[in-house]
Formats: sequence, C-alpha cells, structure tokens
Amino acid sequence: MTYRQARWDEPSVWDLSAIPGPEPAPAVPGLPERMRRKERVLWPELSELQVLRHYTRLSQMNFGIESGPYALGSCTMKYNPRVSEVLARRKGAAELHPNQPESTVQGALEILWRLERILAKVTGLPEISLQPGAGAHGEYAALLMVRAYFLEHGELERRTEVLLPDTAHGTNPASASMAGFTTREIASKDGCVDLDALKAAVSDRTACFMLTNPNTAGLFESQILEIAETVHGAGGMLYYDGANLNAILGITHPGRMGFDVAHLNLHKTFATPHGGGGPGAGVLAAGERLGPYLPIPRIVKNGRKFRLDYDRPKSIGKIKSSYGNFGLDLRAYAFAISHGEAGLQHVARRSVLNSNYLGQRLGKSLPRPFRTLVKHEFLLSGTPLKAHGVRTLDLAKRLLDEGIHAPTIYFPSIVDEAIMIELPETESRRDLDEYAAAFERAVNDTPEHLHAAPQNLAVKRVDEVRAAREPTLSWKDLRRRTPNHEKAAPVSSPP
Amino acid sequence: MARWIPDEAGEEAGLLAALGIPSVEALFSDVPKKARIGRLGLSAGLEEPEVVAHIDKILERNRPLSKFSNFLGGRISSRYVPAAVDSILQRSEFYTSYTPYQPEASQGMLRVLFEFQSLWVELSGLDAANASLYDGATASGEAMLLCRRLHEGHRFLIPASLPWEEKSVLRNYAVGPGLLVEEVPYDPRTGNLDLEFVRTAIRSHDVFGILADVPNGFGHVDEGLWDLKSLVGDVPFVVSADPLALTVLEPPGNYGADVVVGEGQGFGIAPSYGGPLLGLFACRKEHLRLTPGRIVGATLDAEGAPAYALTLQTREQHIRRSRATSNICTNQSLMAVAFVVYASLVGPRGLAALQVSIAEKARTLASALGAVEGVQAPRFEAPYLGEFTIELKQASGDTFLDRLRRRRILGGISLADPRPGVPPAPARILVAATDSTTEKDIQKYARAARAAAAGGSA
Repeated sequence: MTYRQARWDEPSVWDLSAIPGPEPAPAVPGLPERMRRKERVLWPELSELQVLRHYTRLSQMNFGIESGPYALGSCTMKYNPRVSEVLARRKGAAELHPNQPESTVQGALEILWRLERILAKVTGLPEISLQPGAGAHGEYAALLMVRAYFLEHGELERRTEVLLPDTAHGTNPASASMAGFTTREIASKDGCVDLDALKAAVSDRTACFMLTNPNTAGLFESQILEIAETVHGAGGMLYYDGANLNAILGITHPGRMGFDVAHLNLHKTFATPHGGGGPGAGVLAAGERLGPYLPIPRIVKNGRKFRLDYDRPKSIGKIKSSYGNFGLDLRAYAFAISHGEAGLQHVARRSVLNSNYLGQRLGKSLPRPFRTLVKHEFLLSGTPLKAHGVRTLDLAKRLLDEGIHAPTIYFPSIVDEAIMIELPETESRRDLDEYAAAFERAVNDTPEHLHAAPQNLAVKRVDEVRAAREPTLSWKDLRRRTPNHEKAAPVSSPP
Repeated sequence: MARWIPDEAGEEAGLLAALGIPSVEALFSDVPKKARIGRLGLSAGLEEPEVVAHIDKILERNRPLSKFSNFLGGRISSRYVPAAVDSILQRSEFYTSYTPYQPEASQGMLRVLFEFQSLWVELSGLDAANASLYDGATASGEAMLLCRRLHEGHRFLIPASLPWEEKSVLRNYAVGPGLLVEEVPYDPRTGNLDLEFVRTAIRSHDVFGILADVPNGFGHVDEGLWDLKSLVGDVPFVVSADPLALTVLEPPGNYGADVVVGEGQGFGIAPSYGGPLLGLFACRKEHLRLTPGRIVGATLDAEGAPAYALTLQTREQHIRRSRATSNICTNQSLMAVAFVVYASLVGPRGLAALQVSIAEKARTLASALGAVEGVQAPRFEAPYLGEFTIELKQASGDTFLDRLRRRRILGGISLADPRPGVPPAPARILVAATDSTTEKDIQKYARAARAAAAGGSA
C-alpha cells in the first residue's frame, strides 16, 4: 500500500494572524509595579475556526495507531479503545479536584481501588500504588523504596550497586543513577542474561537487579527462577520492568517469577493512549518486604467506604503532586474489565502469536540474531544491507512510505543495526501480511530509493544533525534568527 | 468481550498452521512450569454497554465540582475549557501516536510541541523550554537537579509555604544525590520569603540553588522575588509560576530566574482528580545540554524545507543511559497540545482578562470572608491574584471544611500536612476564586462560614 500523508503548507500559529503590537498588559490592583507584566504576552488573536483548522491540519501530518500499524518495539502500540475516551470525559470523572473531600470522590477512589486489586492479581504482588506518572517515574520510586529498605536494615552503605543486563531499557540505568546507585551492566549471552556472569557479579554490594522479562530481544528469560535465587542469595532485590508485560498476562507474573517490586506501564499493556509521548500512567507493585515503603497515600477500603491512608510511617512520601493519572487509570480499568480473565490471557497469547508469525516471515528477509521462539516482539539485524550502503535507518524511513510506522531501531545495542518489531494483539493477520509484504518491498528496494525515503510524508528526510548543531527551539529563536520574520508577519498596531 | 482482538474466521488457526504448531501453548514452552500460574482470579469480560453501565454506576458515587460552590484551587484549576480544545485532543493522530522518534511521520505533533515550547518561553521570559514533564512538582524536582549540575553545594532552599506534597516530591528528588532540601521561613505578617534567612544561607557557600513560587503556596505574590537574584548571585534561581498569573505578572526570566517551572493543567485540561497534569520547564539556553526531557527543534528536510525533530537527544536516557540528565521517557505531550490550543483559543487578551476578572472576584471574596468572625481573611498582607489563605481562630480546618461541604460548598484546601505525627499548625485554608465563581457563591460562602468558623467539633 502506498501511503500519502497530508502535506499542508501550514504556517505556525503566530503567523496565522497579525500579532497585536506592543500593548500594556492589564493591571491587577494592588500588585506592586515591578511585579507587573509590562507588555502583553506575545501570541496571536485567532477565531475558533482558525485555531481548529490549524491544529486539524497539523494532526493530518501525524501518524497514529488509527492511521496504520505502529510497530515500535517495546512500546506496545495497541488500539486505544474509544469507549475509554468517552468514560474519562464523564463529568463524574473529569470534574473532580484532587483536594475534594473523600466523601465526594468515593467513585474515583473505588475505580482506583478496583484497578489496584486487578493489578495485584496480574502481577502477583499484593501491594499497589498508582501514583507514578509513567514507567520511568515508577522505576525511580521503586529504587527509592529499595534504598529506604536497605537504609532501615543498615545495609545501604554497602549495597550501592544496581545490576542490569546490557539489553535493559535506557530508563533503568538512568533511574538507578538518579536514585544514587552505581550501575553495572551484565553482558548477555544469546540475547538473555548470562547466569554465570550474573553469579560472578552479585555480591553484598548488590542492591538490586533490574530485569525486563520477556526482555528487549523479545526473549523469555527461561532461567528466571535461577536468576531470582542468585539475586536473593546475595541479599539483593529483584526488580521487574513491566514494559513487556503484554506477553505474559495470565501466563506467569512477576510475583511467581520471584520479583520483589515491579513497575507497569498502563499506557502500554492496558491500552491507555500514548498521546504523542505522554501522558503515561505508571504502576508500582510490591511484595511484602517493600510494600510498606510505597508512596503515600494508599487507598484503603473500610466496609463500603474508601479513604486515603497517610499513616504509613515507612513510606517514601510523595513522588507526584496528586495520586497518579486518574483519567488514565479509569481507561485502564475499562480495558481490564472488558477483557476479564480469559480476555487478558488472550491478549498475551495473540500478541505472542502475532510476533512469532511476523518474525518467521520477516526472518526470510533479514537475519534474526537470537533464537526464534519469541514473545511480544522480535529483533532483526539490518547488517546485510550495509553491503549495499543501506542502513537500518534507511529501511525505517522507507517503511514510512508504506503507511506503517517504523520499528524501534538501533536498540538494544548488543545487536548490530537492530530492528525491533512489536505488533500487538489488536493487529489482524491481514495487517501482519501487509506489513510483511511492505517490509519485503522495502528490503528489496534499490539503495537509491532507500536513501531518498521517505517520499510520501509531510516532509522529506529530516536533518536531525542540523537541529542539534544550532538549536532553534522556539518562536523567539526564529524571530532572532530571521530578522525578516518581523516583515513576514508584521507586528501591527492594535485594531 | 469487546472486539479488540481481530477474529476473522479461522485467523488464529491459520497463524498457527503457518508456524507449524498445534496450539499457542507451544509458544510458551520457554516459560518454566514452576513459573506458570493458574487463573488470575478475575471476573469474566464484559461487553461495551456493560462496561459503560458498570463504570457510570461507580462514577455516580462522585459529586463533581459543578454540584458545589467551588473554591478549590492550589495548583489545580477547574476553569472552563472551551469545547474546541477537546475536539483537537480527540484527533486520533495526536492521542494515539507515540514519542515522535520518526520526525517525518510526526511533523504534526512536533510542530504543536514547538508552539508549546514557544508559548512557555513567552510566558516565562526565558530562552528555551522542553516539551513537558509529568507535573509542576516533578518539574521543580528536575529543576533542582539541574541547579546541582550548575553549582556546587548540597543545600537547596525552598519556601516553607510550599504545599506539603511538593516539599515531599522535592525531598524524594533530593534523596539520590544526597541533597538537603531546606525551608526558608516566611514573614508571619506578609507571608513573603525571609530574605535575611536567604542572605545568611547563601553566605555559607553550601547552597546550590533556590526555588520560589509565584503565586506562592499561600496564593500571594511576593515582591521580594524581584530582589532574589541580586541576593543569591551566581546560585541558580528557580521560579515555579502559574501560567495564567504570568499573563499579568512580570516574566520571571526578567528578574533573573535561571529556570522557570510550573503546573500547566489550568490551560485546557480537566482536573480529573489530579491527573493527567502538565509539567512546564524553561531554562537559559546555555544550560540546555544539562536539562531533562524531550526538546523539539526546528531544522530542514533533505530538500531544504522547514521541518522539526526531537533534538539534543544525547542528554537522554535512551542514549546516555546511566549518565543521562534525567530518566524521563514518557512525558505529557498530549497535555502540552491542550495547553497551546487553549491559549490560542482564548488569546492573549482573553487570558489576561480572565486573570483580572478572577482576581476581582477573589478580592470580593476576601472582603466577604474578612467580615466573618473567627476568620482572618486574607491571613497574609502580600498582594494576591485569584487565591489567598485564610486562618481560622477557633475551628479546625477539617471541621470548617466539613461544615461547608454539608452546605454544598467546597471551601478551599486545608494547608495542614495530613501525615500523622506532624506538629499541629494554625488552621489555614487556601481559598480560590474561579471563572465560575458568582456573587451568589461568595455570599453563600460568607454566610456558611459564620456558622462553620465557630469553635467546637462538627
């Protein structure tokens, strides 16, 4: 299928109408003169239709899940149910202030509490908090909990090291550093944790081992029970990065695998929209040892009533101003109860089936670096293309012309020219077949075409190096860079 | 169960046949038996009408803000959101997309984020903004970490008047690097920062940054912020500012702020029980490479046409890993869309007029409550915009608010820290006027407050 994205010559919002010339901002009586804004905020005055037309046109130059398959590995770009959008906009959900008295938000607390109970079952870890804003935020909070635990047990001075596989998501080492730990990467063997290397690395300095399972190579860490034993044997904690939970819903869970604490991404597994990069919704799940350290407040149920409990003396405190992203938690709850027991299992089974099927087909075009039994995603290597002067990046751009979003590329770094593909359970066989056909066309296209891709999108290949060399990050920069800009969009006197 | 998993006749059987396996179970042979689980113990799935009915029934147990005379504010606003904002947010090209790693496919989102960054630059008076963080409190936390990269020391000064939640978040961002978050007392009369305290602290040479907020945690505008830069010298200075207030207040960049953060929820985002929110972050250009978060930059495409892309990514976790400036990956892009669409719909004159009108209502409210026995309103003498703090002479904050609630008034936010063991503090309530506040609401509040402010328990 050939894709043709809209290509509007749409100006920026400030070029849509004459900007009112410098005029004083209105005064609020009683404000000291020097705290008063002297000139009104520089921004255009537009009609509602002008605004709508502008942002509608911009949206038409953007690719979403409803535009076509969105194969970003480790991002779990599944269909975001429309019904959830409707429910999150109900007055009884949207028009609630976080500081309302508990008696007036019983429904919100009930939704959050019910979602927490579902997530406790899904993770096998009994204590849940929905406070984190996203997955990485959950990682950070969990590591603070690990810290607080070892501090209380007099081991923090010694346990300063976080271990992680070299395939870990970048957020893992970044979160560990922020939380004050040093990080040490364990080299993988055949795409999985090398148990011997892990055994050699753990010590009484180990605070925790952060692991994604299935991992970013799409492989299930089959030695997980031995891994847990190794980490626990050294007195460390086992941390579950839930980015790839989709593959194991109802099959296994972090609790059964021996993890002490986990974060989940509701915007992946539980289908809340990613929103162009956010909002997400993070979840913390903890076992008995770390449960008392979860952020406050916790939601508790007394009889039919729900309340926020701040009486958790071991809690790390707050990590976000309010209790998580309620609007997204509500969507995740709708997703979970729609699927129910059998449905969630079906999610995992189908996402794994899709991934194995597509992996087998695409494996005919490019090599697969590791074993071929995969979970939710799989890796290919673009190395053979290099002989023709073609890079994985070129292939990714060429795929865009086919109306499919490019895979995650150059990650994990242990695979040369890595291509990471995940098409979750909401993609049909027809979509997979079309994807495979498009992929084959792209791989077999001429180097000239691959280098020139994309051709059918709003812009041609974007010069990212230039963007970084001389950062132009705002309208203010544009005004500075191009003095002519003032002429192009005259600053008029007020009408 | 909903039709979210495709099921064309025989589809899954066909996939299995292509793989040459008898059942999906074979695909899980790599999960050790001892790690397998049985039932999760969840209910059976529901059809869409059942889901809607079930959730609507639970939501009936909520009493939305419109059922009350509402005086709740703080960092969360309940201002009216024009319908057109949501119609843009519901464009699936925006809300179902992900981080624009592939710029060619994502010019729409990149361009809106560039406009968003531009707007926060205009409001804050600084040079550069990122494409959003989780919320105002975490933006303050990231700002603190930036300060530490810019300056030696281990003490970070914050106003004692900051909401307790934000203090707690900041302390959690300070834990990793072992920093000390220290509270600057306020003048008991004005509520303003004690500048003498700041002066002395700075002389210790152990302060690596200071944060002040405008309006502050009491709702007031502290004129002393103007003098802070000259006081702190080269110690980085963060201002947490309300975007609507900045339509009438001097941009903090103009009085020396190095970082301006804020909570952007009030621009086009429903309160939704506190999330999703929007963290705003702007800084000086020379510090860009030390800052957290996604940043969108303008560039050109292969044919020389204007184009946009995520830039300066070498700061970020997916490249720099343990040496990244932050762990942030997911941000609040869609909420950033709401922010800029809202501002463009209301326009610069409309926004300032909105702040002026809310401030007028707040003054009327303050004089009405000031006339109530047992209530000091406002408690502090510094000027204010849309909200201010009252102090109760007899009643406890909880009792007062509970009595008001029974009369369908949400009387404000108790400033007490709800954690057990916190020393008792004066009964203070942060009271906000909003765009929907009417003269009738104000009179109703004043009448109810007369009874509610009396001593004794409820």
